[in-house]
Amino acid sequence: MIVVRQKPVDEICAFVTRHRRVLLVGCNTCAAVALAGGEKEVDLMAELLRLATSRKASFVEFSGTVLTRQCEPEFLEQLDSEGYDAILSMACGAGVALLASSVDVPVYPALDTLFIGAAQGLASWEAECSACGQCVLGRTAGICPITRCAKGILNGPCGGMSDGRCELGDRDCAWVLIFQRLEKFGRSEEFLEIAEPKDHSLRTRLVTWDAHEDGIR
Amino acid sequence: MRQTQVAHRSGLRDEQQRLYAPCRARCPVHIDVPGYLAAIGEGRFTDALEIVLERCPLPSVCGRVCLHPCEDGCRRCLLDDPIAIAQLKRAAADFGVYPRPEHPRLRPEKIAIVGSGPTGLTAAHDLANRGFQVTLYEEKPLLGGTMRYGIPNYRLPDYALDRDIDYILSAGIAVNTGIRVGRDVMLDELAASHRAVVITAGLQGSRALPIPGVDSPRVLTALPFLEASSRGEDVDLGNRVVVVGGGNVAMDVARTARRQGASDVHVVCLESSDEIPASPQEIHDADIEGITLHYSWGPRSISHEAGTCALNTVRCTSVFNAEKRFAPSFDESVAECFEADTIIFAIGQSADVGDLGIALTSRGAPQIDPLTLKTSIGNVYAAGDVVSGPTKIIDAIAAGHQVAATAYRDITCDTEPLRLLNEEIDTLGEVPDTMANKLETRRRIQMEHLEFFDAVKTFDEIEGGYTEYEAAREAQRCLSCTTGARLTREKCSLCLTCIRVCPHGAPILSTDGYVYFDAAACNACGACQSQCPSQAIVLEGHSEQEMSRRVERQLWAAEMDTALMFACSSTPIVPNLGGTPPRIITVTCLLRVSERTVLEALQNGATRVVFAGCVESTCRFLHARELVRQRSGHIEVLLSRIGMTNAFDFVEHKADDLDWHLR
Repeated sequence: MIVVRQKPVDEICAFVTRHRRVLLVGCNTCAAVALAGGEKEVDLMAELLRLATSRKASFVEFSGTVLTRQCEPEFLEQLDSEGYDAILSMACGAGVALLASSVDVPVYPALDTLFIGAAQGLASWEAECSACGQCVLGRTAGICPITRCAKGILNGPCGGMSDGRCELGDRDCAWVLIFQRLEKFGRSEEFLEIAEPKDHSLRTRLVTWDAHEDGIR
Repeated sequence: MRQTQVAHRSGLRDEQQRLYAPCRARCPVHIDVPGYLAAIGEGRFTDALEIVLERCPLPSVCGRVCLHPCEDGCRRCLLDDPIAIAQLKRAAADFGVYPRPEHPRLRPEKIAIVGSGPTGLTAAHDLANRGFQVTLYEEKPLLGGTMRYGIPNYRLPDYALDRDIDYILSAGIAVNTGIRVGRDVMLDELAASHRAVVITAGLQGSRALPIPGVDSPRVLTALPFLEASSRGEDVDLGNRVVVVGGGNVAMDVARTARRQGASDVHVVCLESSDEIPASPQEIHDADIEGITLHYSWGPRSISHEAGTCALNTVRCTSVFNAEKRFAPSFDESVAECFEADTIIFAIGQSADVGDLGIALTSRGAPQIDPLTLKTSIGNVYAAGDVVSGPTKIIDAIAAGHQVAATAYRDITCDTEPLRLLNEEIDTLGEVPDTMANKLETRRRIQMEHLEFFDAVKTFDEIEGGYTEYEAAREAQRCLSCTTGARLTREKCSLCLTCIRVCPHGAPILSTDGYVYFDAAACNACGACQSQCPSQAIVLEGHSEQEMSRRVERQLWAAEMDTALMFACSSTPIVPNLGGTPPRIITVTCLLRVSERTVLEALQNGATRVVFAGCVESTCRFLHARELVRQRSGHIEVLLSRIGMTNAFDFVEHKADDLDWHLR
């Protein structure tokens, strides 16, 4: 899922205080699961903004609603934004963008989109994928070097590794983890194969994808 | 009422069937026990009393003398002790304020109720609250029936009974005491002048055995003796008293005789110690007061000598025959003679309604149609012990509800109250091991009571009742069965947070990809509800709206510059903040105070919000303190971001602090 985090509320305040009626729109898919944009967070954010703005003697009205997914036009059609002069979207970047394209008032993000990740337990996620467009997990035993290696290199480890740790000091070296897992499955010789450079244009040029055009559907 | 004992997943529940906690399911009138225990646990005695009154108009009485079938079902039984459900009902009645009657729109129909015992009072209460003009007819000078004239004052003092009766009468019920229907006024006159008549006369006749020598001034029967005692009359019994009988009435008689000055009291019963029908508690109390029980003796005759008498008995070999019918058999070769100054028979009561002029059964009880509860006169109903034979008070109250709902249906054609009374219910199974292993042992709090050597000298009430503090602590032992999490599937975003925070494994991820809650494994700690991002989980026994109203009420009466404190009900001590005393809201657990509630309070005028947390030794819920700490941290961060750094505080006390919150 897409992992998101709430922006500091002072940053959000700066967006909304110049408006009169603001609608907060949550998203009950990834943003809710990431405990940042579900109904509870929408209600709480509205209350917090009410408190913050009333302390500054500015009179902004806040209401909240939640869509099932903000990144689908059909769900956005269910949104009634009549009478609001701004929208605060509590969804990932995709949700904010689609919402902004479908209404005539300014849409502001309340969340920062962090990564594609997996849950590690209560309120904790790990980045697992960088959406590079050319998956290498097949030869790296399911550990993504693009995401987990600080340099994102395809042939590692680099000289900065010591005792299995990355020189940044905040993580294990991804390539050591890859080696250990390949070894576990008796595939350590694959580690010696040199990987060709990736086509990074896939990342920068692939702005839309239509399955029909590709003849897949 | 049918019950099925199944471990239960609320997600799979048929919505038509109500899921009750075992205590509530076993109560004949289904009092919302977890509901009122939760209120008492938060120190809200008036709320608790109102919850009890919804189902039982005699809380002060039931709190003292109910035989509490609820407690036998308590899911805490297997862990340590059942909750003192009945005694906590007394606390609700002792400390709560009885509500004012609502006075519904008055209806033209008049209804007469004959007899003012628990059934009659309940029926009068129900019918008066539905707008009927109700008149109570009572033969005795005061209302209450057996509760006043049968149950001794050391168990149920008059002031406790009067409190309930005053509440019931406040609904606007006319009272005619000192009038016996069938003698002073005829039943057919009543039937003609009222839309309905309900006979709830109870069991007024006391039986004695037809054995030689029974007709003597030294031989008494139970009810006249108990009635004389409850009126405060001195009955000359002599020193040695023999009570014949093995039920709770026999124990009452024996203990009353002890208080009437008899120093040597014996109870002689037909049954063996395994079969004796008196409740174990009554037998225990009688034993403590120095009363001797003699099991398996059948009276044969009473012989008289100058001033004293003797009960001649033979050994009873069995009380019941193979069909479990009462058919005692005796061994005439084993005999025993019990000498006494007075012999009192307490072997059962009978209906005394022969002068009413209605058809009677062979036992002398009114003949009724079991479906319509009607007697041989069309608009005359009969219910309670007079029909069913001796039952518990709470059964008599249930009979009162039933006959009131039946009469209401017959008059108005509205079947709803009757349908609700007889709806099918479902209950929870035992506490699963996964949960039981994690629950701490907490024994029942014992009530102050008179020591037996003082108790037997007077008719003063033996049990002193809980203090407010003791009541709250005892109520907090409740496992809150069926008041826990309920999931609205449509709102669930399947984040699985509930599964991750629940300490007892109540939420289950099923193979169909949905989350279900196992109600049997939920003790309503509120961890899942407090974390659910989609607000898809609510606690049955808690609502955000109700919390908002409580906050509003506190702040409405507050002065400027007032702090609002949310105190965990398990908090041993409410911290002293200095300055204006804070308004305090006591909550079951601080997890029930959401971030939003705190912000709302600040928005609505509180200058500061304080969380007063509990300590490890008093905390009721596993992991809850950790979650409360996280929540407090979160609130502090949020408020500091908008420049309100001193608006929130979280105070926890050390374990060695004095335990005086809620005292």
